[in-house]
Amino acid sequence: MKNLIEKKDAALIFGYNEYSLEIAKNISFKYKNIEVFSLEKNENSSHFDLSDDWSELEEKFDMENSVAFCVLQDDATNIFLTLSLRASFKNLNIIAFCKNKEGAHKLTLAGANKVIPLIQTTASMISDMLRKPIVTKVMHGILYEKSDLKIAQIRVEKEASFIGKHPFEVNWGEEFGIIVLSIMQDDINSSFIYSSKAKHKAIQNGDILIVVGYDNDIIEFESLIGSQCEVNWGDWSR
Amino acid sequence: MSIISKAIINLSYALDDSKRYNKTKKFFYNILENDSFRLKKYLDGFMITLIFLSVYILIRDVKHELNDFWIEFNNVVISLIFFIEYIFRFWVSSSISKVVINQNEHNLMLNRNFSIKKMLTEVLKDKLKYVFSIKAIIDLLAIIPFFHQLRLLRVLILFRVFKLFRYAKSFQTFVSVLATKKFEFITLLMFASIIIFVSSVLIYVMEANNPDSPIHTLFDAFYWSIVTISTVGYGDVTAVTNEGRSVAIVVITSGVAVLAFSTSLVVSAFSEKLDEMKEMKTIDNISKNKSFYLICGYEGVANEVAKILKKNDFQILVMDEDEKRVKEAIKDGFEALNFDPGEVESYKKLNIDLSKHVRAVLALRQSDVENVYTTMTVRSMHKDVYILSLLMEEMHRNKLSIAGANEIIYSKDLVGMIAKEFIGQPVAFEVIHALRSEFSGVDMEEILVTNRIFKYISKINQLENEKYRVVLLGIWKKDSDEFIFNPKADTTIELGDYLVVIGNSLFIREFKRALQKKIFR
Repeated sequence: MKNLIEKKDAALIFGYNEYSLEIAKNISFKYKNIEVFSLEKNENSSHFDLSDDWSELEEKFDMENSVAFCVLQDDATNIFLTLSLRASFKNLNIIAFCKNKEGAHKLTLAGANKVIPLIQTTASMISDMLRKPIVTKVMHGILYEKSDLKIAQIRVEKEASFIGKHPFEVNWGEEFGIIVLSIMQDDINSSFIYSSKAKHKAIQNGDILIVVGYDNDIIEFESLIGSQCEVNWGDWSR
Repeated sequence: MSIISKAIINLSYALDDSKRYNKTKKFFYNILENDSFRLKKYLDGFMITLIFLSVYILIRDVKHELNDFWIEFNNVVISLIFFIEYIFRFWVSSSISKVVINQNEHNLMLNRNFSIKKMLTEVLKDKLKYVFSIKAIIDLLAIIPFFHQLRLLRVLILFRVFKLFRYAKSFQTFVSVLATKKFEFITLLMFASIIIFVSSVLIYVMEANNPDSPIHTLFDAFYWSIVTISTVGYGDVTAVTNEGRSVAIVVITSGVAVLAFSTSLVVSAFSEKLDEMKEMKTIDNISKNKSFYLICGYEGVANEVAKILKKNDFQILVMDEDEKRVKEAIKDGFEALNFDPGEVESYKKLNIDLSKHVRAVLALRQSDVENVYTTMTVRSMHKDVYILSLLMEEMHRNKLSIAGANEIIYSKDLVGMIAKEFIGQPVAFEVIHALRSEFSGVDMEEILVTNRIFKYISKINQLENEKYRVVLLGIWKKDSDEFIFNPKADTTIELGDYLVVIGNSLFIREFKRALQKKIFR
């Protein structure tokens, strides 16, 4: 009977605190199922313990396509939780938060896909604001605000004029109204087209381009050469 | 009111109003007295050279025949320069016009007549106060060799050496440190003087009539006392009688005590003042900086921000009321002061112009109360200085903005945004993070359109950025405060706009250099 119930993908937030509430608020646009777990029993969250028994979760959710946020206050417990989750679910997307770089390193070792060291992230945001206010403003616009400017990844599938050319030989801005930042070839190793090693690569069919541009232009470019694609971005960044 | 009084008052007001006069006076004040003035060190260097030259001429003159040029140079040229310097110092030491104006306004209020006599006394009092200051006396004596040819008086040239103290800051510090132990030094001096006086008299009485003794006069006795009490003991003058030797025993014993006491006094004076001296040094260093970031608090985020900024060659000053944290900051290699960032006094002590020297004030304590207080304090002192503050609890956000923070950073907000981006636009997030990280070799930079760039470039297509393999992401227009992505070739560039470029860090640097120099033209 159980098998007949369709498992849902969900966002699982471990830790009941201000951070977790903030996360829940911000990801609700994408996940219908958001569940907050707490080590202590309380009314607003489900209870969990560190006993490695995740069968309840497994029954309820499609763990392969879910994402877990580990935001426990104590770094040690957070690492323990990450390890436990990774041991049980190989493909679960785990995003963990910790205080500083030291914790971040340990969390990566524990198997988190993405680790956010809070102090460093806040500090680098502040220093970016001071050092490059305009760049930060533009980036902030792309990332966090409702700007028309987007970053997307597009796979080259159709015949296009630039296949066989080096990314630098094409005037992307004038021809397509977009700017190509990076090119990923089969081996997933991506590099920005401006780093020196990229200049030897010619664009081939099947490459994935990371482009920045206005929404409309990206859609147009997409229809011209291929399709927007999803890549496991957790792997991409490493 | 007499015509003279009227003339004096009018002249004073005219001088006080004259921009040119005030500017000139300020310039001379700065170059003579203001240590942070850029040009002062050149004048100091010139004067120090003259002093050494003067002393060299004096020494050389002892055993060699000098030609007339050098004698004249020493007596006339150098003395004249010193004389001019003295006159300028005399001029800038106080303002006569201010005294006149003050007195006149005071009189007008009380309906009294202007009194020249009273005015002159005031002015004279001010000027004499300067003339009789030790520094001014030394300056004056340093000029004197100019006025006479007596060989003995030429020793006065040594006052020119004393003039060096004017230019040596460390000596002034030394004196000010010792001044804190004035009472102890006076006590010690009294004690030593009494011992020297009593022992000189005693040794004279005991030895002067003994034909074997080298002590014949009271001066010999005095000389012996000084040599003995200082524990130098040349041995050229010694006591020969038993009575005299008994006196010597007492003097030697007290000599050791005097020496030990004075040494410990100097040492303790310095160790007590050491922190203050270090503080002064930091303030001195900071006031030399043209622009720096003022970080209030040194914990958590503040540590990291300080490190990143330092890595990017920005000047930083850390201010924290907690001694332990200040020590930590100093250990990490920052200029740090144990001042309370919430007190106006702290900024006054810094002796800087907040809007000119401080690029931004960063209130980065882990407590909202402290950050609000710091923000409020800084804002109350200056309305334009940029303040960035950390927020710990959302409910205090409005307090921070009322206090006057320009930018508020709330870390929980940040976490929410990061989570949203991960879920919503993973690619954009990764790309931007990779762009920001220092290891990718690729950088995103903003280039301000300065006068230099604007002179040659007015349109996007004149930039020739492709030549440098730099991609122009867009241009930030200053006027409309908006970002134009992928601008068309004929988009105009204006002064104050920012070009946002992406590329290899090295290429960007080259492109920037080229823009400044226009070497590709």
